Amino acid sequence: MNRKLHIKIFRYNPLDPDSRPHMQSFHINEYDSMTLFIALTQIRDEMDPSLKFDFCCRAGICGSCGMVINGRPGLACHTQTKDLPAEITLHPLPVFKLLGDLSVDTGTWFRDVGTRIEAWVHGNDAAFDPAAEEVRMENALAEEIFELDRCIECGCCIAACGTARMREDFLGAASIARIARFAMDPRDLRSDDAYYDVIGNDQGVFGCMGLLGCQDVCPKHLPLQDQLGIMRRMLALHSVKGILPKAVIAALKHKGHKGCCHEKH
Amino acid sequence: MNLSAITLHVPDQSKIAGRLDFVMVASGALLILFLWAHLLLVSSVVLSPAIMNALAHFFEATYMAQVGGPAIFVVMVVHFILAARKMPFEQGEWKAFVTHGRMLRHKDTTLWLVQVISAIVILVLASVHVFTVLSDLPISAAKSAARVQGGTWLSLYLVLLPMAEMHVGIGFYRIGIKYGFISSARRAWYQRAEVVMMGGFVGIGLLTLARLYWLSI
Ligand code: HEM
Ligand code: SF4
Ligand code: SF4
Ligand code: FES
Repeated sequence: MNRKLHIKIFRYNPLDPDSRPHMQSFHINEYDSMTLFIALTQIRDEMDPSLKFDFCCRAGICGSCGMVINGRPGLACHTQTKDLPAEITLHPLPVFKLLGDLSVDTGTWFRDVGTRIEAWVHGNDAAFDPAAEEVRMENALAEEIFELDRCIECGCCIAACGTARMREDFLGAASIARIARFAMDPRDLRSDDAYYDVIGNDQGVFGCMGLLGCQDVCPKHLPLQDQLGIMRRMLALHSVKGILPKAVIAALKHKGHKGCCHEKH
Repeated sequence: MNLSAITLHVPDQSKIAGRLDFVMVASGALLILFLWAHLLLVSSVVLSPAIMNALAHFFEATYMAQVGGPAIFVVMVVHFILAARKMPFEQGEWKAFVTHGRMLRHKDTTLWLVQVISAIVILVLASVHVFTVLSDLPISAAKSAARVQGGTWLSLYLVLLPMAEMHVGIGFYRIGIKYGFISSARRAWYQRAEVVMMGGFVGIGLLTLARLYWLSI
């Protein structure tokens, strides 16, 4: 095989007044098990040291190398060139602030939404006893929570979301899945009302239009579709408590989900 | 005192967002059921105009047409207003969404645009249609046939039918996704079901129109 790859890269330095956005072509030889990260490193080492792109772990763990690969947001280190056509177009992730070329600032964005949804365990700090043994958790539940904790905040789901691109203040699938993670966690003492206050609005679950770009690009395969559905139904039903008959709400409740709506409080 | 009613500096703690979302989805579900029932009822003319007349008579004698008709129209308008909150009316939003759609080439994202456009078409055409039918009661196969054979109404129906079916088919799937009735494991199955359903109902509708077109009055 060993194809000659034609890689077209978006180039722009927003800090340089003379810089104009343009696409630049690079030609490199493909070799076995080459990833896009390797290809980009080779271009930077051998052809253009000014090329900006982010990476750190090279193993799909740190979430820094997200970019738009032939139209699809994905991780450069997680994408093998053999799975792509010989012509590869690379853009920076939309939504996030462009730092230059393929590099964007996802950190500031995630920090902001993290603050808005209060992405931390809300325990009873006053009652915390550092000497006491840690409370144990059922293994099955721990695994379920970990399933959502695997999010690496790469931003691909945000960049693939039509809602996030239209509306700057949309929290995105990662944030909603994050709240689902806290809703499952018995150590988080927030009430359904408190969850409603942070994501029960048109910037949160009710803003999502069910386009599922998020689900289809998440490189860590988080169950975003299912969690969005669970959280939206839970919070919508919460909002009509006292209006709709109890029996109707009970009939519509999500079955078999341990996370939300359980009587933990 | 709840200061959020007076100043926006105090965040609103009301449940309004969830309630509006619930009404949007519930009204959508109601319209889906209505449209399916409607197409099946009208298609009775394929079997025989007498059956359609009898059904029409039943709905008028029970005042379901006189009350239910305008009620459905109100539901449709309410549904439109609630759903339109998500539509990209601002040019910048439209540009963002279309650029996004082109970049991603993703089925569910593209289908959303189809829903936005069909919604506007239905709003106008269904309003005209409901007004005409309800202001010329009683409904009879002969009157319907005269309308369809007139030509203008036929072209209106030939646009309204696929638009309404697409909108309702996609809407059905999307309600299932948004409220978690369709799990990720069953998504592909429902996508296929959606296409079959749309095709089926457009087929029934076309058959009805053909029957009305060739019905001797
Ligand atoms: C609200 C009360 C409604 C009544 C009583 C009603 C009644 C009828 C009748 C009697 C016909 C036969 C054609 C004719 O007489 O001209 C028809 C056809 C049709 N209607 Fe309605 N309609 C209503 C609402 C709607 C709405 C809201 C929509 C769209 C969302 C709609 C979509 C259609 C379509 C696409 C046809 C074409 C016929 C076919 O292919 O079966 N109607 N309707
Ligand atoms: S949910 Fe998936 S796509 Fe979104 S930030 Fe987390 S790992 Fe990335
Ligand atoms: S399902 Fe919701 S969060 Fe995911 S891409 Fe669509 S609109 Fe965005
Ligand atoms: S470099 Fe860490 S995820 Fe790609």
